[in-house]
This record gives sequence, structure tokens and C-alpha cells, in this order.
Amino acid sequence: METPERPLRVAIADDALLLREGIAKVLADGGLEVVASVGTGAELLQVAARGGLDAAVLDIRMPPSYRDEGIVALEEMRAQGSTIGVLLLSMYATPEYALRVMGAGSGTGYLLKERVSEPQTLVRAVETVASGGSVVDPEVVEQLVQRTRADDPLSRLTERERSVLELMAQGYSNGGIAQTLFLGLKTVETHVRSILQKLDLEESPEHHRRVLAVLTLLGAR
Amino acid sequence: MAPGRKGRIIRRTIVIALVVAASLTMEITGFIATPEALRREVSWTTLHTIVPLVFAACAGVAWAIGPSRLPARLMVVFPLVWIPLSFLRVIEHVAWLWPFVYGVHLWWAVLTGILVLLYPRGRLIDGVDRWIAGIALVTSVGYLLGVLLLGQPSPAVCDCTANPYLVADAPGVFAVIDVGYRLIGVLLAIVIAVRLLVRWVRGSVPARTVAFLMPIALIAWVITLATQAAAYASGGADLVLDTVSLVAIASIPVSFVAGIAHARNMRARVADLMRITREGADRGLWAESLARTLRDASVRVYWWDEERARYADASGEPLDDDTPAARRGDHGLLPVSSPTGMPIAVIRHDRVLTDNMRLLDGVSSALRLSVDNGRLRSEIERTLEQVRQSRSRILEAGDEARRRIERDLHDGAQQHLVSLGMRLRLAANQARDRGVEPLGVELDGTIMMLNQALKELRELAHGIHPSLLSSGGLALAVPELAGRCPVPVEIDVQPEGRLPEVVESTAYFVVSEALANVAKHAQATRGWVRAALVDGELELVVRDNGVGGASAEGSGMLGIADRVDAVGGRFRLDSEHGAGTTITVHIPLAGFAH
Repeated sequence: METPERPLRVAIADDALLLREGIAKVLADGGLEVVASVGTGAELLQVAARGGLDAAVLDIRMPPSYRDEGIVALEEMRAQGSTIGVLLLSMYATPEYALRVMGAGSGTGYLLKERVSEPQTLVRAVETVASGGSVVDPEVVEQLVQRTRADDPLSRLTERERSVLELMAQGYSNGGIAQTLFLGLKTVETHVRSILQKLDLEESPEHHRRVLAVLTLLGAR
Repeated sequence: MAPGRKGRIIRRTIVIALVVAASLTMEITGFIATPEALRREVSWTTLHTIVPLVFAACAGVAWAIGPSRLPARLMVVFPLVWIPLSFLRVIEHVAWLWPFVYGVHLWWAVLTGILVLLYPRGRLIDGVDRWIAGIALVTSVGYLLGVLLLGQPSPAVCDCTANPYLVADAPGVFAVIDVGYRLIGVLLAIVIAVRLLVRWVRGSVPARTVAFLMPIALIAWVITLATQAAAYASGGADLVLDTVSLVAIASIPVSFVAGIAHARNMRARVADLMRITREGADRGLWAESLARTLRDASVRVYWWDEERARYADASGEPLDDDTPAARRGDHGLLPVSSPTGMPIAVIRHDRVLTDNMRLLDGVSSALRLSVDNGRLRSEIERTLEQVRQSRSRILEAGDEARRRIERDLHDGAQQHLVSLGMRLRLAANQARDRGVEPLGVELDGTIMMLNQALKELRELAHGIHPSLLSSGGLALAVPELAGRCPVPVEIDVQPEGRLPEVVESTAYFVVSEALANVAKHAQATRGWVRAALVDGELELVVRDNGVGGASAEGSGMLGIADRVDAVGGRFRLDSEHGAGTTITVHIPLAGFAH
């Protein structure tokens, strides 16, 4: 995670004016520079096309159809080769959307809208995606883990390994997991290796692919 | 063929063969026994021989199609009493027999008269007919008695031996009886002919056209009797008149059989009309059948057009009262109206059919029935269609209302609460900045409560309408549903693209209800959901490996069935005890807007 010499330049897209301004305030208070604040995905695409952005925060449901405009805008940006961090906000914690967002590539995140009442979480998520990391809302991970499946591979994990896995799925790095669970980095690395082995997942050096693999596993169980 | 029918046919064939054999025997032996000088012409004798054969043949037909058995029996007896006078020469020395044969040798005329009276019903219709038949029979028996008791052989007929039954030698009395019998016969024949002619003139045109032989035969027959009477009186015979009379007699059974065959045909066609009516045929076919039934190609049916308040035929051509044909009065118009007096149609027919009011009555009844049927049917169909449409509209309106409520919650209450949480956070931060830690803690607690409320609201909104269904369709929403089910569910959702909204929401409801049943009642360890597009329909199968025994009357299943029915789909439940439960639903895609 970079320590910005200059503040990260962020654009916001949300059709709800009240929230848009609130988010802008939270981000500004967190030391980020909000360079644009628009109401639709199309407008955000125009802003992004002008360049100079580090990250974008998008509502998923926006005009015109109030369906998945935010994700469509993300996919459009990635298709055009943009690699800026993109954080999607949603009123619902929908695993299917989280998977789609992660599937769009690295530097993406999916958070519940109510996280705006936790300024640090929001700011840190923006910073994470801006630096190419991944963020997934804990509630989504919780839903995925709660899903029941026959011969569940998760049953092979220990309690501690499950906690580690949940944080992995949310986009935490090994260091972040160590910090959160008050464990040594070595211990976390051991857990992670054990988890990947038990779940037949490949050890990927790339942080984002690890998140996607874990989420996919959880979703496809 | 039924054995009884077969046996009957064999019996009848044998009877006819015996009768024909007897008749031929009388003709041939009589011809041979007559001295050459006294013989009649061979051509006449041949014709005379053919007449009973025609009767026998017609008896066979009449037995098969006749309205009763009586006409056929009369026809089959006819050859036996069609006794050529020449036959007397064969039995002239059989003293005990010849008076009997001579006594009945004119009975064929009685049989023929009764046969004519029987036309076309196969029975004597009224008292006059019965009187005529009675008189003919009584006088015939009387004549037989007269011959037996008083008859003396005439040398012109045969060289008969003396009559053994003779009680008195009274040739004068016998001559009176002999002539009187013939006179009564002629009179009765004339009465019968007149009655039949009147009946024929009043009869229906088609019946008349086919049975045209009947009056001709009657006239010829009357002439025959008159001739015979005259010939008997004068003692000579006219060859031409005799020949005509033979043809006339032979034509009577033929026209009888032809007439009843035609009547049968006619009844069958009216029955056809009724059948067509029952089947709800369209108007064009109906008019066509009517024309066929009435044998009148010019028949047109003009239906009442409620909107334009006029009569028009099936192709939309209006009824025109002012055509040259109408002015000439070639056509009759038969208005048909419903029992409540509403106009239904006008049948334009050839004027001559007016004579056949009974047939027209039947036809207009059939038409009334047809229209009433059609009206009821279309009314039911219209009502049913309205109910279907309104049910579908109610369903769509309900879906739309739920979508709107969810959107209002999403854009309104949820956004406001999220903003509120944000502001509370700012307030908490400020409180801490100013060193009011307890307020900060208080506000933190409030934010947590708010987030809990938001979570509940989120669940509520999802329950009202899953936003995932609107945005991602079944391919996303069904896995999400399955994920919420405590029983592991395997999913195979093929329709990648979006389906019509009503279809998607119905399918979602079905899967949701079915999985709720699996979770609550099935005691299953596995579930399966499959969705595929088959022949323009969405096929949904929700299956589990539980205990089975689910009832289609349960509220959950009824809900599914109702919902599927409302969009014109089909629902099927297979849930034998111990064999798990399978719900199969087909929802047509056609007719719904995307």
C-alpha cells in the first residue's frame, strides 16, 4: 500500500445526492482528493476517460435501468484498458455480484453501502483497490461461508483456518490477517498454505487471484 | 356382422328364393299346360313372370331399409298370389285345390292396394286407410267363400272338374259376386289413388321428385283394374293396355322402395345438420350443409349483424330484398330468432321449399340451437379470456407494486438511514475530537443499532422483491435462493439471457416456495433445481431426495399451482412416499413482454 506523496484522486458515481456528498466528505476527511462527483455510470466513464484518476467509487444501481450499471461501468473501464481501482457500493450483500466484480480483474472491491458509517473501512478500501488490491464486504463472505453444501470442503478446515480464510476472501493480505487476528506472520503463512492445500487451490503469488480463487471456491461449493 | 343379422339375412334370402321358385313354377307349368292356340304371347307372359320377381327383389330392399316389416312381408307374399289363370289348367283335375286357387287369384290387387296405403310410413296412418284395407280384406275373403260355395269352372279358363264344395248351382248369383268383387276393387283402387295423389301433391318437393313413379304407377294401376274389369265383362283383352298395366304394377314396389330410401337419406342429412350444429361448425360450413340438406343450392343464410343492425351472409354480403329474383318472388325468406326474440338469421330459400314447412322448421330449430350454442360458447370463451387476462394483469400489477416498494425502500429509507449513519459517525468523531468520549461511545452504539436496523430492512426489501432477479435474472437469483436453503442444492440454470419479467418472477416464486418446502417438510439431504428452455417454454424442475408424500392440496403447492396457472403454465407434482418430491413446471414464454 503506497503512502501517497500526493493525495489519491477519486471520482464518485451515485444517483443519490445525499450519499454522494456524504461519501465525498468521508473520503476528503480521510485525505483523498475527490475530483468528480456524478450521478450515472456513463458520466463516470467520461470522467475516467479524461485520465488522472486513481480510483472510482460507484453505486451498483444507477439510472437508467437501476440494475447493475455500476458493474457494467467497471467492466467497460477494464475493457478499455483502465486499471484504476474501482470500489462498488451496494445496498445488498450479493455474493453473485461480488464474484462478478472480482472477475473483472485486480484492483476491484465490493462493499455494502452502510460501510460509509465506518470512514476508515471506506478510505482503506479505496486505498486498497487503488493500489491493485481486492476488497470484499465481510457480510458477503459470511453469506458464502454460511451456504451449506454436501461434502463441504470447508469441513476439512480448523476453526482458526476458517477465520483466516474469511479474511483472505475479504481481500486481506497475509500481513493484514496477522494484524487482525493478532498472529505472527509466519503462523498466518502456515495457515494459508494449509488452507490452500486442503481446498485444492493453487498458491498464487498475485494477491487478487487468491481472493478470486477463494471466492469462486466458496460460491461454487 | 352380428350373427343374428347374418342369420336374418340368410332366412330372408331363402324365403325370397322359395317364393320366386313357386311363382316361376306356376307361370311355366301354366304356360306349358295351356294348349298352344290358347296361349298368350310369349312377350306378355315374360313380362307377367317378371312382375312377381320385381316384388320379391323390392321385398329384400324393403326388409333392409323399410320403416317397418309389413311392406316387405306384403311384397314377399305378392308372388304367391300373383296367380296366372293359365295355372288353373295345371290343377284342373285336382278338384279340392282349384277352387281355392281361383278364389285367391285376385288377391295380389288387394296386397298392392294396401302396400300403396302403407307408403311412406310403413303403417296405416288414419281411419280411412284402415277402413279401405278392411273392406278390401273382407270382400276378398267373401269372394273366396263365394267361389268355394258357388263357383263353377268357366270353360274359357280351364276344363276343371266339378267343384266339390259347391252347395248350390246358382251361376247367376256367382256372376253377381264375381263382377261385384271386381267393381268394389276398382272403386277402392280409385279412392286409394285419389288419397295418394292428394298426399303426393301436398308432400315435399324432394320427396315428390324421387317418388314421381308412384302417381304414374297408381294411375296405370287404376286403369289396369278398370281394363281388367272391362275385359272380364267383354271377355277380350287389349294387349297394349295389359302390357301397360303389368309395367305399372311392377313399378309400385320400386317407387315405394325408392321413396323410403330417399326419406331415409333426407333424415340422415338433417341428422348431419344437427351433428354439425352440436360440433359448433362455422357459419360457412353450416350454410353449405343446409343447402345440401334442402337440396337447394340457392339457399343462403344471412346472419344478423348486431353492430350494423342488418342481415349479412358469412362472406359479409348484406341481404338485399330488392333483387329482381326477390321481386319476382322466386325466393322465400324464413326468419329465425332466438327464444327471447332476438333476430338470429334469415334463410333465403327457393319458393318451392315453402311447401315443406316441417323440414324448414327442423332446420330453423337446428339453426337456433347452433346460434345459441355458438353464442354461449363465445360468451364463455370471452369471459374466460377476460378472467385470464385480468388474473394475469393482477399478477403483473402485484409484481410491479413489489418492485416499486423495493425500489422506494432502496432509494428512500435505506439511503436515508445510510446517510444518517454517516452523519452519526461524523458526529461521533467530532465528539471525540472535542474530548467528549462518553458521547462518542453512545453514538457508536447508536450506529451499531442503526446498522442492525439497516440489515433487517435489507432482508425485508429482499423478501418483498429480490433486486438480484430484476438485475441479473434467474441465472443469478436462483443460485442465490439455493444458497439460502439449509439443504444443499445443486443448480443447473440454462437460460443465460433474460426472460419476460412475469416468467422470471413466477419461476423465482416457484423455486422459492419449492425450496422452502424442501427445507421445512422433505427431510431431504440433497436438492436439485433445473431450469431450461424447451420448445418456447421455461421448464423448471425442483427435486429432492426426501420422504415424499407432499400433497398438491397443501398451501405451498396450491400457491405454486395458482401462480403457474395464472401465466398459462402447467404444474405437476410427483411425490410418492419414500421417493422424494419432484415439482415440474412449464411456463410458456409467448405472449409476455420482456
